[in-house]
Amino acid sequence: MVSAIYPLAAALASAFLLGLLHERQRAPAYAITLGVLGFMTLTAASWVWGFAQTGQAGFEIYTAGVAPPFAISLRLGLAEASLMLLINLTGLLSAIHLQAPLLAHGRRAMAVLLIAVMALGGLVMTRDLFNLFVFIELIVIATGGLVLLSDDPRAVVAGFKYLIISQLVTVFLLIGIIFAYHGTGTLNIDGMAMTTMGLASGGALAFFLMFIAVVIETKPFPANGWALDIYESAHPAFAAIFSAASAAAALFAVDKLLLIGGSDWLPIATGIGILSFVGANLLALPQTNDRRLLGYSSIAQTGLVLVVLGQRDLLGDHTLYVAGGLLLANAVAKAGLFWLSDLIPKREPAAWAALRHHPLALFAFATLLALLVGLPPFPSFYAKWDLVHPLADAGRLWLLGLILFGTLLEAGYLFRWFGYSLKREAPALTGSLVSPRFGVVLVAVAAAWLLALLWGELSVHDNLLLAVPLAFALAFLALDWLPARVKNALAITGLVAYFALTYTDYDPLRMIFAVIFLLGSALTMLAGFDVQGRRPGFYPSVMLMLAGLIMLIRATDSFAFFAAWEVLTIGSYFLILRGKRSEPHALSYLLFSFGGALAMLAGFALAAQGAPSIELVALAQVAESVAPWVFLLLAIGFMTKTAAIGLHIWLPGAHAEAELDVSPMVSGILLKAGLYGLMVLLLAMGTQRLAGVDLVDLLLWIGALTAFLGNLMAIFQEDAKRLLAYSSIGQMGYAIFGLALMNHLGWLMALMFVINHYIYKSMLFLAVGGVARRTGTRQMFLMGGLITLMPLSFIAVMIGIIAMSGVPPLSGFGGRWIFYNAILATDARLPIALIFLSGPIAFLYLFRLIHTIFLGQLKDEHRQVKEAPFWILLPQMIYVAILIVAALVPGLLLRHVDQYLTEFFPFGALNWEGLRITSDFGYWNPVAIMLTIGVIFMLLLSWLLFVNRRAQKVKQFNIVFSAERPYRPETTHFAWNFFAPYRKAMGFLVQPLVTRFWDLITQTLHGIGEMTRRIYNGNAQTYAFHLIGFVVVVFLLGPGGTA
Amino acid sequence: MTFEWIQIPYALLTIFIVLNYGLLMTALIAKIAARVGRRHGIPIWQNYADLVKNYGLRSSITHGVMFYMGPVFRLTGGVGLLLFVPTIYGSVMFSNLSFAGDLILALYFVFFGTLGMALGAAESGHPYSAIGITRGLSQVTMAELPLALAVFAVALHYQTLSITEIVAAQQGGFLNWTLFTNPLAVAAAMLAFLGSMMRPPFDVVLAPQEIPIGPPTEYHSSYLALMQTNRVLFPIAKIVVYMNLFFGGATSWPEFFIKVFLIYMVSVLVGVVFPRFRVEQSIRWFMIWAVPIGILAIVLA
Amino acid sequence: MVFIAMAAGFILILIGFYGALTNRNLLRMIVSFTLADTGVHIVLVAVGALPGRTAPILDASVPVAEAVTRIVDPVPQALVLTAIVIGLGVTTLMLAYAYRLFAQKGTLDIAKFTELKW
Repeated sequence: MVSAIYPLAAALASAFLLGLLHERQRAPAYAITLGVLGFMTLTAASWVWGFAQTGQAGFEIYTAGVAPPFAISLRLGLAEASLMLLINLTGLLSAIHLQAPLLAHGRRAMAVLLIAVMALGGLVMTRDLFNLFVFIELIVIATGGLVLLSDDPRAVVAGFKYLIISQLVTVFLLIGIIFAYHGTGTLNIDGMAMTTMGLASGGALAFFLMFIAVVIETKPFPANGWALDIYESAHPAFAAIFSAASAAAALFAVDKLLLIGGSDWLPIATGIGILSFVGANLLALPQTNDRRLLGYSSIAQTGLVLVVLGQRDLLGDHTLYVAGGLLLANAVAKAGLFWLSDLIPKREPAAWAALRHHPLALFAFATLLALLVGLPPFPSFYAKWDLVHPLADAGRLWLLGLILFGTLLEAGYLFRWFGYSLKREAPALTGSLVSPRFGVVLVAVAAAWLLALLWGELSVHDNLLLAVPLAFALAFLALDWLPARVKNALAITGLVAYFALTYTDYDPLRMIFAVIFLLGSALTMLAGFDVQGRRPGFYPSVMLMLAGLIMLIRATDSFAFFAAWEVLTIGSYFLILRGKRSEPHALSYLLFSFGGALAMLAGFALAAQGAPSIELVALAQVAESVAPWVFLLLAIGFMTKTAAIGLHIWLPGAHAEAELDVSPMVSGILLKAGLYGLMVLLLAMGTQRLAGVDLVDLLLWIGALTAFLGNLMAIFQEDAKRLLAYSSIGQMGYAIFGLALMNHLGWLMALMFVINHYIYKSMLFLAVGGVARRTGTRQMFLMGGLITLMPLSFIAVMIGIIAMSGVPPLSGFGGRWIFYNAILATDARLPIALIFLSGPIAFLYLFRLIHTIFLGQLKDEHRQVKEAPFWILLPQMIYVAILIVAALVPGLLLRHVDQYLTEFFPFGALNWEGLRITSDFGYWNPVAIMLTIGVIFMLLLSWLLFVNRRAQKVKQFNIVFSAERPYRPETTHFAWNFFAPYRKAMGFLVQPLVTRFWDLITQTLHGIGEMTRRIYNGNAQTYAFHLIGFVVVVFLLGPGGTA
Repeated sequence: MTFEWIQIPYALLTIFIVLNYGLLMTALIAKIAARVGRRHGIPIWQNYADLVKNYGLRSSITHGVMFYMGPVFRLTGGVGLLLFVPTIYGSVMFSNLSFAGDLILALYFVFFGTLGMALGAAESGHPYSAIGITRGLSQVTMAELPLALAVFAVALHYQTLSITEIVAAQQGGFLNWTLFTNPLAVAAAMLAFLGSMMRPPFDVVLAPQEIPIGPPTEYHSSYLALMQTNRVLFPIAKIVVYMNLFFGGATSWPEFFIKVFLIYMVSVLVGVVFPRFRVEQSIRWFMIWAVPIGILAIVLA
Repeated sequence: MVFIAMAAGFILILIGFYGALTNRNLLRMIVSFTLADTGVHIVLVAVGALPGRTAPILDASVPVAEAVTRIVDPVPQALVLTAIVIGLGVTTLMLAYAYRLFAQKGTLDIAKFTELKW
């Protein structure tokens, strides 16, 4: 192993050496700089490799050949080595990125950069307090210099503010150090830790001053206005160092100091950390400058790591893994994003749309954001999971809640930003992607994936990146250059093959979901053959969603389940975001889903009771004291996905604005994930009572209300896809209702809804999508009379609505029949009334759908409309066939499920004797019904055809119309505000109260952020006041308050 | 109960009897209503004449495929409903095809004709058809709710969905009828009945008929004949369900004729007394008066 | 004596802070910080001082064997030297900054430099 002295010495020496070069010899100077930084990076890498391979413990390096306290000592261990690698690599890459300004400013700037990197490394390694002070001061001076590399004239002010703050820090630090030294007789951190500061409160005060000084270097909220100004105005490559390397080094210094302070100081670190995390994320919401936004996020992440350090008493040896995961994730992501920001022409976040036409850059952006937010498979995901579990176990629920809240805020503004990048007007990039400036971003992206692999390997859980479905999905990233049809074929083959390989693994319940998720999606994807060209980004997203879905049903423990949930959420988010006008809807989808996921995370953490994860079946054994809460949190999580009333506002927009073949997937397939979750939950936990309320009863009410209001809202929609989307809300309400009945037939009905809803929603979305494609509108009143032009689409819609409305003889009736039998066996009567009402209401919107599109008057502009494309029709026709088969022999799949359900609900199983299905209350013979109806129907039809064989089809306006002859379809097609009487009578029920509620919440959060950020008024003296106030408050709340 | 071929002629016989009864009864009721209004009214055989005429007419125009199918759907709905419900309790001959399904089948099959009719009428492109349909659908959704609640209350009450068993439970004296054992459910169901019989005060659905004739506006000749047939069959089929569920069913044809007539007369009596509601008014009326009774019925069941 | 030095040091620090926070003129702020720095230095030395002992210079008058009992603690003195050097560096940098700020806007009023905010 190379001695730790060499890199430091090399940096110092070459910084001096640069001074000897001639002012004009800039290229050699730059080469030397890069060479030294490269050497330092390689050295650090070799250390990391050495420690990781040999498992060797860290060791001390005595600089003067003498042990402390007589000389300064450094320490090198795995943590130090990793941080050194991070710092040196960031330095190297930033130096590459800074090529132009460095060459412009000459050797002095390069020397300062070398000193900065060296000092950051020194700060990490040193074990001596005064040495710590020296390195901090070196960092201050170097930062003061490097800030000036920016083209932004405002950077000068920012640098000055920073110097003022660092003057204050210096005073605190020195006073603290000298008194600590006075008390202990040593400057060595470990030596000081051992003497435990013999001086009662005086020692505590000394320690407090040192501690707070170093904490301020981590830019805690709200004493951090100066740091934000630097982030905003400095050169992005320097901001990368400032965020990635400086923050990491400062955090490590805090960690070292905590060693001296002992466990009394951990809560203080936690408090400061969580305040930063939530505060900075809140203030980031109203940000309009991308770099300042990144600055806020950086501060928040640093705060989170501080929280982890403060939870050392819980995490123990695991602290390194958790803190490291968060810290490295933030560092890599921030460095990458700051570098990337240099390619963006303007500073408002919407300008990142410049990346829109550059798939690689967009991929980089997405990777870095995912890394930052902590989505699987990135290290921060593992880290957050491992952080939250001990917190829940130790009962630190406030902290847990605040962490999750902050995480949600962060996801909010980061994904809003990502939405801009895909959807806004794209300005030109300032620079080429084939340049070192973008190359360094790619290095960050590579590092992100490497870290993902590494953290997965190190975790006690499965390595997510190695899961077959996820790997298959990610492989499509590499194949994105292929034509869409090839990729489509590959995807379908993959799905079917995976099903063929694994179908023996599933019990009948999971089988239903496996069939829908794998074969069902393959069927829907047939429509994808319609798309010409490459369709960039589509296949990775859709396969990511499907991978998540399939991992979900294969998961046996909470970790795998949760990871799968996040994967499917993010995949579907990307998928939904592809729609033309779906930016706000995709965001609201993501926020609800992510919020729900966080609730789930909390639920799982509570349930695990200290274990790293919990088997899903073990949910049944959760202690009684927490079980209802676990149930509640998980149920909320799942219900965000099924769009239960109150959590539903994302769905209409998300489903309606999605692309033609995406709508059927997110509606027909994705919604089932939530139902699956609820099933797993209810099977394991059954009924729970909280404050005297039976939670399953509550679920029953939610299901009924959702069914009713979802359907009611659907009938007032003018947009065909929105109508279908609202109807999905209602249908999911039915399914939830069925599950909450907690009896055999209720579950059977829910499962039947799962299947039926998949079929007819996929079919209807495809049909309506095809019509919308041909007519160029989704507004139903603009259509009309398309039956003769699009007969196959009409048939699909007609079969779909007959099936969906539950009218015999199609399969929807089976669902209704089971439903009635199920509710006969329950005692909950009141919600049933609501459910009863929602059934007929479904008729209204279904009729509207078919009438206003296909019947009535054809519009002039649609006279040339052609039938929908073949590939869009094909799956629809297959669905029609399936619906008819399912109507005739519903037992094909259902009887196995019925049998399987007997395990959990022994009473009330159906009797599948012959063609007849019998329950405890009634009976039903699908074949007889179909035959009877078929025979009567055919007899009458053939008679009518026979007697009217000479009838001619008359022209469109040949109708009796109050003695006038209509001549304009627009005035004759009765379609707009179709159910006006209903609106008059029931309209008060569909006031957008829920939307207003959530709007109010987001506006309040924004408002708080907007108001609070005014404390940063830009004045250096105000910032100094903040700092002093911060110190005083921390003192009073911490050591001063207790003394 | 399983299928035997002999059930087909039996079923046809039921249809024949009900059709003739229906033709006479509706004419009789029209005559009664006319006499109340001091008019002479139609001759009792008028329906036969209309039907024969319309079946005899040949049409030379159509508006399209669904236009064809509308009346077919409609009549299939009427005939099917009649056949899926046993007409005469205890009679093998007249239990029809009730082995195919229970009460739920009957309840949902009511919509089959409505839906088909709506589709057919809508293809004619006539705005009055569409207006009539929206009014009808809006009203029927709310009118059906008390019925569904009542049916459910009855099913809960007898713990079965089989119509035959429900009738069986009401045998042995009229005090065993649901009317007396569960008056709340019957009250709710009868209010719903008013809403679905196309008579005042709930006949605004057919109002466009007067200018000129609502959903069937464009139908004529043989199309109209099918619909007229259904107009006769369908209300009776529906009343059979009511009779079986709430009024003890019928053990013989005479009992059947009397009960059907009396139940029909309820809507007629109400109809001649009350003026017409607008659709939103009738929705509110059902919400306020009928639905709470239905809810009470299931809560207390 | 040590007490007086220590008190003087702290008073200087407070004066420095007060000056830096109340004066809007850049140069006055910088001067205030040097005052505070000086205060810190005095405190540092005061902490290391032991009354009656001599400077930590090992020469003829202070034999190595007796050094531990006769000299003051040398570490704070070393620290002070370093701190003074660093303070000098930072002060210089601040002055350079002040110069550039003045060049930008022609004013030394800190309240005029608030473009970066929120």
